[in-house]
Amino acid sequence: MKINILIAGILLSTTALFAQVTKPIEMPYVEYPIEAGDHDEIVQQYCLTCHSFGYMLNQGKKSRPYWTGTVAKMVNEFKAPIPKEDQQIIINYFVKHYGYESTTGH
Amino acid sequence: MDQFSRRNFLGAGLVLGASTLFGKEAVKPIVTEAKPFVPPMIAFPEKKPMKTISDRPPLLESSRDIFTKAITPNDEFFVRWHMPDIPTYIDLSTFRLEVKGSVKNALSLSIDDLKSKFEPVEITSVLQCGGNSRKYFAGSGPATHGVQWGHGAMGCAVWKGARLKDILNMAGVNATAKYVGVNGLEKPAIDETPIFFREMGIDEALTDELIVAYEMNGEDIPYLNGFPLKLIIPGHFSDSWVKMLSEITVMDEYRKSFFMDVAYTVPDNDCECVISGSDFEYKRKPIAQMKVKSVIGYPTPNSVIKKGSRINVSGVAFDQGKGIKEVMISLDGGKSWSATSLQKDYGKYAYRLWSFSWEPKTKGEFSIMVRAINRIGNIQPLPGDIGWNAGGYQYNAVDVVNVKIV
Ligand code: HEC
Repeated sequence: MKINILIAGILLSTTALFAQVTKPIEMPYVEYPIEAGDHDEIVQQYCLTCHSFGYMLNQGKKSRPYWTGTVAKMVNEFKAPIPKEDQQIIINYFVKHYGYESTTGH
Repeated sequence: MDQFSRRNFLGAGLVLGASTLFGKEAVKPIVTEAKPFVPPMIAFPEKKPMKTISDRPPLLESSRDIFTKAITPNDEFFVRWHMPDIPTYIDLSTFRLEVKGSVKNALSLSIDDLKSKFEPVEITSVLQCGGNSRKYFAGSGPATHGVQWGHGAMGCAVWKGARLKDILNMAGVNATAKYVGVNGLEKPAIDETPIFFREMGIDEALTDELIVAYEMNGEDIPYLNGFPLKLIIPGHFSDSWVKMLSEITVMDEYRKSFFMDVAYTVPDNDCECVISGSDFEYKRKPIAQMKVKSVIGYPTPNSVIKKGSRINVSGVAFDQGKGIKEVMISLDGGKSWSATSLQKDYGKYAYRLWSFSWEPKTKGEFSIMVRAINRIGNIQPLPGDIGWNAGGYQYNAVDVVNVKIV
């Protein structure tokens, strides 16, 4: 699989908002907090390729069916290449740290 | 792929950027607070500090106080991309907008071509994300899927550009053409992820009001809002207002795509709603026209106001382009309503600023509510009455701001 490496641009201090962008813009890099433990390294390995952890934090606490569905959506719709065993580890991690146990609901 | 953690992934990018281009140090990461999640306020290029829901792709929300202005300044205008790989530099000497597919003459247009070969037109229009205000669904039912935006995924700007119709006419659309597909330069991290591709019917594409904009509020479009070109579809939610627009493809057949058929859809029934808490198991249709809406810009929630002072309660209202008829305000939790005064009219697709002079005479907690009605009688639902959909799209219930009078 080919990965399109993101070229991080170079700092352009944009005080002059009217000026046309003549150099690459520089995107700030935000290190969103990620709860440690329960194989967070697997979560970090697979879940940060396409978007930041802000996407997950922004959801608030979610149920097991929600996290199961979301991981399935990442794999089925967006083609995240995550082996089955790791998907289960990831779901358990999110339910424990960013969710709650329940069989229904969001 | 397996070895790619985010750190390596971005780190590699940073080192590459730093060593190959200007030899600068890598950017210092900004560490944010732990739960509960409060998006950090960060200044992105050409932007003031904004609520940063995500840095990659950038999702930046405007603060509520921008709703005291009829025109949203470019440096406070919200930002919403879908894909992480966004060019950080566009060279206008090589950038081209490709117009292709079911046309007689495919075109490859530079920004200069767009400015010199087509009649420039200007329109003032609201740009609102389909998921704007989504977090308020959780106030009257289960939280929905999707990015939990407050009201700050909308703004209003003066857009200038060439009519899409004129561009399509120059290319000469074939008689067999039925759809027009649009996409920009943002790309997924891996090739297998569906690209952000949007489609519309040929009749819609040929209406007068759609423009390919190269200017926003008299300036180049800010990078993060889609420099150098953005498609403008007045009255419609922003899902097809493609940023960094690079390709227009005229098609004889509809092309199935994730971002048309799955994302940005609502239940295909009259109320465009389902029983709260149901999942996506319903027939869907793409969201399109916006719904009548008003939002309070001042005061902001939990403000403390001195009894006897006179304040100017104000905000914005808009709809799908029929025009705002009236905005009503209630200061007693919805029991009684009075008219606000509507300010200057910037056109039927623009924000209509409203204001109301209030002199609170008793101490205590107050709920300020506003409710807009448009010229064809569409009125905002009360928060408890809004129809629910699992994607959390099109929230337009009456806005409520609680303040304390001391
Ligand atoms: C192959 C790319 C890819 C990977 C890997 C990926 N995602 Fe996503 N994810 C996406 C895309 C694309 C979206 C939608 C983007 C948008 O609308 O801004 C998304 C959106 C989301 C959202 C927002 C809510 C929603 O349903 O749209 C959440 C939460 C999320 N992803 C969680 C995860 C988790 C957890 C993982 C790790 C299992 C993960 N993602 C891995 C591509 C990916």
